[in-house]
This record gives sequence, structure tokens and C-alpha cells, in this order.
Amino acid sequence: MNEEVKIIEIKNVPPRATLIFAFPDVGLVGVIAASHLIDELGLTEVAYVNSNLLPPLIVLHEGLPHSSIRIFAGQDTLLAVSEVPIPTDVIYPIMDALINWAKSKDVKMMISLSGMPIQDRQDVTELKSFAAASNAEALKTAKEKGLEILTEGYMVGPQAVVLQRAAEAGSPAITLLAQCFPNYPDPEAAAEVLKELAKITGLKVNVAKLLEKGEEIRLRARDVMKRTQEEMTKMKKGQEYDIPMYVS
Amino acid sequence: MSIRKKASISDMIDEYFEDMEKWADQLRETMSERPCWDLKTCAIEPLREITVTPTEVIVTVDLPYAKEETVQVKAVDGSSLEILAEMKKKIRLTELGVTHRKGVIQRFHAWIRIPVTVNMDKMKIQHKKGILEIKLPRKR
Repeated sequence: MNEEVKIIEIKNVPPRATLIFAFPDVGLVGVIAASHLIDELGLTEVAYVNSNLLPPLIVLHEGLPHSSIRIFAGQDTLLAVSEVPIPTDVIYPIMDALINWAKSKDVKMMISLSGMPIQDRQDVTELKSFAAASNAEALKTAKEKGLEILTEGYMVGPQAVVLQRAAEAGSPAITLLAQCFPNYPDPEAAAEVLKELAKITGLKVNVAKLLEKGEEIRLRARDVMKRTQEEMTKMKKGQEYDIPMYVS
Repeated sequence: MSIRKKASISDMIDEYFEDMEKWADQLRETMSERPCWDLKTCAIEPLREITVTPTEVIVTVDLPYAKEETVQVKAVDGSSLEILAEMKKKIRLTELGVTHRKGVIQRFHAWIRIPVTVNMDKMKIQHKKGILEIKLPRKR
């Protein structure tokens, strides 16, 4: 394990689970979806990331300190979620540590939840979702489950590292991307990405409550979104809009 | 004497945005951070985004909980906008997870500087799904 990043386990971690990653990104799609999953499935914290590469920040819950990157678990499911954006310059070491830890737990698949920004999002009533995969096997699974494949383009952020590392290791990984606001919290997109997640994992959750609390979530997520915008600028997130030039 | 290569329009636009980014970074560094809410005015600063196209400036503002009929957009001195909106209900800071301060938020308030010259008189406004969109044609 990377010595600068430690994954500290505080409870038993289920083996051969599906590991879901949800980090602050466009529309905070992954984080909003993760928060809903934790509530609906009653997931409990089983591990956390300890690293002096991260800013000196703790998250207080009920008066007690917690790491900003925590891993929750339920039956057959692990969920790694960060409550603050991961600084661009430490994304690789943090993600490498999480992925190596996942290998040690014999994780059967890694799935990242994220968003795909679209123009004039407020005018769009039916959001589309896309999937990208780490290898042919995962791509086949995504297609068989009826997911639309993102065939060309760029991906920037932690989910890009997950796909890259999984591809190198020949492990199955899928990134799910729901169309979303780039810079505003988007609970509707989070609901969409959860529907896509259910197609792959069978983890069905009722998203009605999530949609009902949409305005409250948007207000509460305001500051995390602002910090995330700053970090996305640093990591050149805008490159995802670029016209790809695939060199064959 | 250095001779500067003639830049294309896209180079000039890129350069302009790089300068803007640097300016914003410098400004951020010199200003101490403050909360997005102000308990004296019971206001919260909304998230906003500015897009500059060759023909117009599009400003969007995220206004969850805003009462649509109370949204006000005021042009100030030809280069700034003031946005005001009342919320559907008063929200206690504790409801937003801020437990160390007591107070309520009941409106949005923002000042937005427009980075290029625009025609404020031809402003177009729409409010959809809690997102305020303001379109301002650029002056030629």
C-alpha cells in the first residue's frame, strides 16, 4: 500500500463486493447519489482514508471528527465517498491507494458515479446517461444492461484514474455519467445515475425522496459545489468538452 | 525588440480568458474568505455562472427555494447586475448544518460583474427549474 495514503478499517469489510466511487465533480452527481444510497440502504462506515497529502481538514459529525474520504458498506456493496473535492495534485495517490485496497478485498467490480455537463440543462426534461468501461468484458456488461456507451471523448478526474488503473490491471470497472449542470448541484441527475446503477448492480433505491428534497439539497450543497468548481478548473475539467482527436 | 506573432481570434480569446483567470486567482489570494451568508441581511449568495459568446453574455444563477415572482434583476452602471430573490420559506442555519451560529436565511442576493461591454437595455430573462438565466447582447 502507498505509505502516504492509508486506508484504516474500523469494521469488517465484506469481501467480493461491488465498490462504488462517488467524488465531488460536475453537478455533485456522485456525492448526492451516494448520500441518498447511504440513507436508503442504511450503509455503515467501515473504513476511511488517512493521508497527510490531503488538506488538514476533518468533517465533524455529531461532535466527532471524521475523515473527508470514507468507505461505507452494506451487503455486497462498498461505497467510497468524499465530502470535499480531492485536490488535483493528490488524485493519483489517493485513487491508487483506494484501488489497491479494493484489490486486497477482492472487489468484483468498481463503478464510478459522475456527471456529464450539458448546455442549457434547465431546458432539458429527460436526462440521458452514458457508461464507459475499463475492458471489453465490462463494456459488454454495460451494453447488455441497456446502457448507452460513451464511445469517444475525454474523461477528467478521479473516475478517469479508476478506469485507467482497472484497464491496466484487466479488472472490470464502469463509469456512469448522467447529463447534468456543470456548476450547480443536480439532484435530478443523481436520481438518473442511481437508476443506471440499479441496472448493473440490482441496487434499487427509491429516488422519489431525493427528487422531493431537490431544492434543499441544492442549497445545502452550495459551498461544496463552489469548492468543487475551483478544483475542476485546476484539473482542466473543461477538456471534457474538447473535440477528441483519436490517433489510430 | 521582440516581434509578437500575429495571433488568431481563438488565440486572443484564449489569452483573454487566461488573463481573466489569473486576475481572479490574484483577487482570491488577496481577499480573505467569508461565508456565503450574511446574517444582518438574512441573505445567501447564490452560485452563478457567466458565459461569454461572440454575440452575448449568458448569466445563470442557481436559486433553489426562490419565489419566482420576487426575482429581481437590476442593471447597475452598465457593467454589473444586482440579483435579489425572496425564498419560499425562512431557513435556519442549523437546517443547513451550520450549528455554531444562530440565524435565518430568507433571500438571495448577488452582485455580478459582466466582463465585457453589453447592452443592458436588451436584457432577456427567464426562470426555469429554479435557475435564473439572463441574456445580454454584446455591444459591437
